[in-house]
This record gives sequence, C-alpha cells and structure tokens, in this order.
Amino acid sequence: MSERKTILIIDDDRDFVSAIAALLESAGYQVRSAANGRDGIDLAKLIHPDLILLDVMMTERTEGFFTLQEFRRLPELGRTPVMVISSIYAEQPIFRVSPEAGWLPADLFLPKPVDPARLLEEIRKLTSASSNNEARIAGRSAK
Amino acid sequence: MKILKIPKANLDLFVSVLPAFGDVYAPVKRGKGYAFDRPLRWFDVQMNYPRTILPPKKFMLPPREATFAFDPAKGFQDLLADAARQLVLFGVHAYDIFGLNILDRVFAQGRYSDPYYVTRRKATTIIGVDFEPDERHFARSMNADFVDSGFDLFLSDIGEEYLVLVGTSRGDDIVVLSSSLLETPTETDFDEYKRRSGLRRAAYRTRLELGDLPEILEMEYHSEVWDEMGERCLSCGSCSMVCPTCYCFDINDEVELGSRAGTRIRSWDSCLFKTHALVAGGENFRSQRASRIKFRYYHKQRGFVAEYGRPSCVGCGRCSEACPARIDIQTVIETIRGERNGTASSVARSA
Repeated sequence: MSERKTILIIDDDRDFVSAIAALLESAGYQVRSAANGRDGIDLAKLIHPDLILLDVMMTERTEGFFTLQEFRRLPELGRTPVMVISSIYAEQPIFRVSPEAGWLPADLFLPKPVDPARLLEEIRKLTSASSNNEARIAGRSAK
Repeated sequence: MKILKIPKANLDLFVSVLPAFGDVYAPVKRGKGYAFDRPLRWFDVQMNYPRTILPPKKFMLPPREATFAFDPAKGFQDLLADAARQLVLFGVHAYDIFGLNILDRVFAQGRYSDPYYVTRRKATTIIGVDFEPDERHFARSMNADFVDSGFDLFLSDIGEEYLVLVGTSRGDDIVVLSSSLLETPTETDFDEYKRRSGLRRAAYRTRLELGDLPEILEMEYHSEVWDEMGERCLSCGSCSMVCPTCYCFDINDEVELGSRAGTRIRSWDSCLFKTHALVAGGENFRSQRASRIKFRYYHKQRGFVAEYGRPSCVGCGRCSEACPARIDIQTVIETIRGERNGTASSVARSA
C-alpha cells in the first residue's frame, strides 16, 4: 500500500492545476483534481484525500465557499483539512469579509498567486500527523 | 428596527458568510417542487418559489428524532445535545415564520416548554424573504402575510436590491459581519417598499372570511358536509405532514432485539390516522374518517382560536396542494359558511 499522501485540487484553472500538480508530485504527493465543486465533492467521497486545495471562483464566483460548507457537513470528509487558494479578495474588492472573521470553515486561506515554498510548507504542516489534525479540529469545534 | 439594503448582485457573497452562524439551508428545487436543503452553489438557491413541500417546522420538530437512549447497564443518555446544531434558514416566507411563531406558543411559551424544540429554535437563525402569492396562498386572510417577529433578518424585494430588516441582535451580528456588502436605504427605497407592499397585499386571489368562523363551526357541528368529506378523505395524513402548524407526535420505544437497551423515538403523527385516538382497551374516539377530518378543522379553526386567540393556520396552501383526494380548505370553509352547496364534489377541487 502506498504511503504517499493524496491531495485533491479543486480548481477550474487548468494551468494552475498543472503547475501545482507538478510541484506537489515532485515533492512526493499523489495528486488528483476536479474542475468544479460538485465533481470535487464526488471525487473526494471516492478517494478520501489527505488534503484538499480549493479554489473559490469557478463556475460561480462563490462556488468554493458552498463546496467547503458541504465538505464540513459530510461525516467522512468533515475532518479532512481544506486549504482555500483564491484571488477573490483581489477580484471582488467589495467583498471585505476577512477569512479571519470566523465564517470560513477552512484550515487556511492563501491568496493567489501562491508562493510555492510557502504552499509546500503549509501542506506539510496540515498533513503531518492525524493526531495533530484531531487536536486542530477539536480546537475549531470549540470556537 | 434597523433597516439596511443589499444589492441583489451581492447576495451570493452575503450567503457565503452565513456559515459563521450555522449550516445554511435554503429553498432549492426538489423534483417538481421546492425544499429547504443545503445548496451546493448559489445557483441552487431559489429566491422566487411559491412554497416548499415541507415547512421549516421539520428543523424544529423533525419527522423522527431520538430523544434519549436507555440501557439497564448504563442508565439513560439524554440526546438533547444533538438538537443544538446551529442552523441558518435562508429564504423563509412570512407565513412560515408565522407558523414557527404559532409552534412557539405550543412548545416554548406554555407552562411546560419542550426542551428539544426550544433548543433547536434557539440554535436556528431565520432569514425571511417576501414572495408573490399564487392561487393557493391565502396568508393575507390569515393575517400571516407579514411578520414583525420570529426572524433575525427579513429581505424585501425593492427591485435591484432587497431591504434588510434586522429583527434580532443575532441579525445585527450578521449585518455587522457583512457590512461591506450592505448599504443605507434612501427615502426612494422606502417608497418603493411601500408600493410593492401594497401590490403584494392586492395580489392575493384567494380570500377567506374568518371573522365568525368559530361560531359557524359550532353551529355546523352536525353538518352533512363532514360526512361527505369523510367519504372523500383517504386518511393519509398528508395535510398534517405538510402543515406548518400541525404538531401532533407519537412516542415509541425502539428496543434492540435480545436486549433491554433502546431509544425513545418521537415521530410525527396525524389526527387523520385511524389510530390517533385509539386508547388502551381498544376504544377509538374517532374511528370514522368523517370524525377525524372534522376534528382537524375544529382544532385548527375553532379550538386553537379559543386557546390562543387565532387559528393555527397560516394560509400557505400546502394542505390543498398535498391532498390526493383534492380536498380544498377554501372550498370547505366556504361550504360550511353556506356560500357553496354542501356536496361531496363541492368540497373537492374540480379534477
């Protein structure tokens, strides 16, 4: 059985997916991808990834937010770490609700364009140990 | 009451931040109808829907809920904590909010409050939205076409924007969080609200006169109309299931085979079911269909008025829509009032 961690990228930008997939594969991760939220949910249910990288603006500009809510409600995926990577704050200047305001049930928000070194470091942290994830989620639930 | 406005173009972003207050449920398409469910994207959310198949009571009084578990070896385990899930109901019509306010009187404001209902009600954020009545709505006749309490926020369509009425401090927390998406309304916006409010009141095609209905029901207790309706009614209970204010429930202990451990289950019941008035010893106080359907009308339109000062009906039209025998509340009431001939065919809609 493979020890490689599986990362699911949900993003409709093919170039972004190819670039990030190449980066992650070179770092030893197994990568799968989906181009919209619904396909991403279906695929995640099937493969149970160790981490999800999620875009926001796909078919709709808020699609990733709805997709994330669904992940958090699904018993089998509610504890999977999700990293939101989006340029929504740059492209929708009216949307000034900070990801730090407690409404975004993601583990981390990173703006696009993303720094590869930081991305790898954050992925390493989020996928490092399931026991850490349990503690992190317990802390999130207590908010 | 604080009033703001939100451009319709910002509504998707506004709904996206609602998870801060709980799991978001909104009206979405379900077959040929609509249901409060979890939208997977903004496109799924239906802002203009006539009515949902089931009212939002399904969140406060679930069709089936486990209240506690029991086990001789471990004792009781109260499952009340399971009811404390934070929810946001987005896009609730005024009559359904009114329906919840009526349920509040029964479950939350009486001598004995129901902890399961109260816990869910307190954990639920309600965001209302106005609607255009169709031919089945008669909420205006039931004084349930507008509400001034029971919601956290209420959205009223004024064209390119919605006026946002803030009903509670929790509603205020939501508008504070999403303040970048909201604007201050102008006098022109208020004028447009008043204009549309008048249009909505005038748009009701179904009107019922309820003024002295309790008295007329008293006079018509032995009317043949009830027998005629009993002939038609299938006792399926659909009208009760879809009613925003029907709250009868049954209690059963489900015990595991080969064990004395189990769970106490509360589930929806209906006064139309043959076993509803069946008691120990085999006596059934309403064994006939006619007596059961009569009981339903008398409870909602007469008994509830005496107890709570208003009928337990909000004019949503769901019972008429759900009835497979095509029994229509408007026709029933008009027949009882002597405004129609009392025949079996007259209490049902024409096929």
